[in-house]
Amino acid sequence: MGTYKITFSMNLLVGLVLFFLLFPVLVVVAISFSSAEFLTFPPPGLSLRWYEEIFSSYDWVNAFWITIKVGLLTALISVVLGVPAAFAIIRHSFFGKDMFNALILAALITPPIIKAMSIYLFYVELGLNNTIFGLALAHTVSGVPFVVINTAASLKSYDVNLERAACVHGASPLRSVLVITLPVIWAGVLVGAVFAFMQSAQELIVSIFVLGTVNRPLAVKLWEGVQVSTDPSIAAASTVLIGVAILSFLMVVLIKRRDGSLAP
Amino acid sequence: MSGQADTRSASPGAEIAPRCRLSARINIRLLVLLAPISLLIALFLILPIAIMFNRALTGEDVIAAYVEVLRSPVYTTVFLTTLKISALTTIITLLLGYPVAFALRFGRPRYRAIVLMLIVLPYWLDFIVRSYSWMILLGRKGIVNELLIWIGVIDRPVKLLYSLGSVVTGMVQIMLPMMILTLFAAMLRIDARLMDAASIHGASRWRSFARVFLPLSLPGVYGASLLVFVTALGFYITPALLGGTSETMISQSMLLLASELLDWKTASIAGTLLLFVTSILVLVYNRLFSIDRLWGGS
Repeated sequence: MGTYKITFSMNLLVGLVLFFLLFPVLVVVAISFSSAEFLTFPPPGLSLRWYEEIFSSYDWVNAFWITIKVGLLTALISVVLGVPAAFAIIRHSFFGKDMFNALILAALITPPIIKAMSIYLFYVELGLNNTIFGLALAHTVSGVPFVVINTAASLKSYDVNLERAACVHGASPLRSVLVITLPVIWAGVLVGAVFAFMQSAQELIVSIFVLGTVNRPLAVKLWEGVQVSTDPSIAAASTVLIGVAILSFLMVVLIKRRDGSLAP
Repeated sequence: MSGQADTRSASPGAEIAPRCRLSARINIRLLVLLAPISLLIALFLILPIAIMFNRALTGEDVIAAYVEVLRSPVYTTVFLTTLKISALTTIITLLLGYPVAFALRFGRPRYRAIVLMLIVLPYWLDFIVRSYSWMILLGRKGIVNELLIWIGVIDRPVKLLYSLGSVVTGMVQIMLPMMILTLFAAMLRIDARLMDAASIHGASRWRSFARVFLPLSLPGVYGASLLVFVTALGFYITPALLGGTSETMISQSMLLLASELLDWKTASIAGTLLLFVTSILVLVYNRLFSIDRLWGGS
């Protein structure tokens, strides 16, 4: 009682939406194994030639490493800055908290083109253009909200008495947080870090402006590829990305399952 | 919040050592926690934007430049197109997303877990990859054309790509997970006992949906729509890949102006207008829902 029944037509709609969301992805994966030089679906035959092409290309491999470096750095800085902020938000009430919340939201959804243009001009002065570190800092602005949000959500359901107990028994406040609290909420922190990494890996416009076209991370390389080439090597590169995405996704699901909550 | 309330009740009779209190007053601890992130956002988001706008928008001819941008048919068209595409995307994701979020809300745990997983999965894929997949599907020799010919709706391939339809299709696919997840989170907060009460008092399922559930879900609907709309305003990749010249969105114009025409002034003016609209919407969102909701505030 009280809850509603899920009707057949509603299930049909859910199925159609899932199909709409997932089918295009399957198409890319299928085409990456195509033996044809052009994009046709279904592919006329199977081959791994496009994978050989990207893995033997210095450009693609290099792009992959740049993305990993920038992404890991982004995730790391986001955790270092975001976790303390989550503690402040959940545990304290302070003057200007609403404004601080709005700031986090602004960092998340300021249009990428505005971030890109302004950070480029700013970096010209600082000499940070064309540096991995500069790009990672710019990406951290968009990545850190994910760490704050996920850590705060974990902290919210955490029993503070555990930490108090440690503290009462003589541990310093910092030590109680590091030894008792962090191991309990690490899942939320890690999920936030994975989100920050993915956000960095997928970001295009800021990367174009900050790194120029000398150093290309994967997103920029893909972007250039999509515009000029009509062969399936882009599909192969995309499939590698899909693989990475699915792996990190499974990681998140496993972490959340261990953590006992499946909802994102 | 609750941390302050139960500091004492947690250990009746025993006073917790002052250093162990979690509800410290505004003090150094708070500063240490908040300063680094505030500094980052101030230095790498606020300051650069302020510098850019300040540089581009000082001088005597600023008003004239604004008037020129606002009166130029090119930019007004781009602005209107951006609003139109974002609005269409928002409405369609809402219409598709609401029933899915609803089914998730009332589905059994196992059903919920599986559907959620499938919805979140494409969320992890690059925008470029997802837009690219539509280029394959909607092309002249793409599977959609082949299917339409096979069914007999058309007898030769039609142009599906580079149209309003293809841009909105691509953007809807990209924004749907965000819409569904936000709606679902909002629906979870609706107390199921209220619907119990409605049905005990004789309301039919439809009536209890229309009079109890739907109204209670409206704040979530507004919040999710606002979030999707604001994100859509800044889209670049999808309209660039799937749209024609008449689907040019504001980010594309700005990128063209800044990086190819080197006209940073006009690009910045367009940027202030975009940022203005975005900020207003963010403020409205924060006012209505407060982003506390994002970390599960009730």
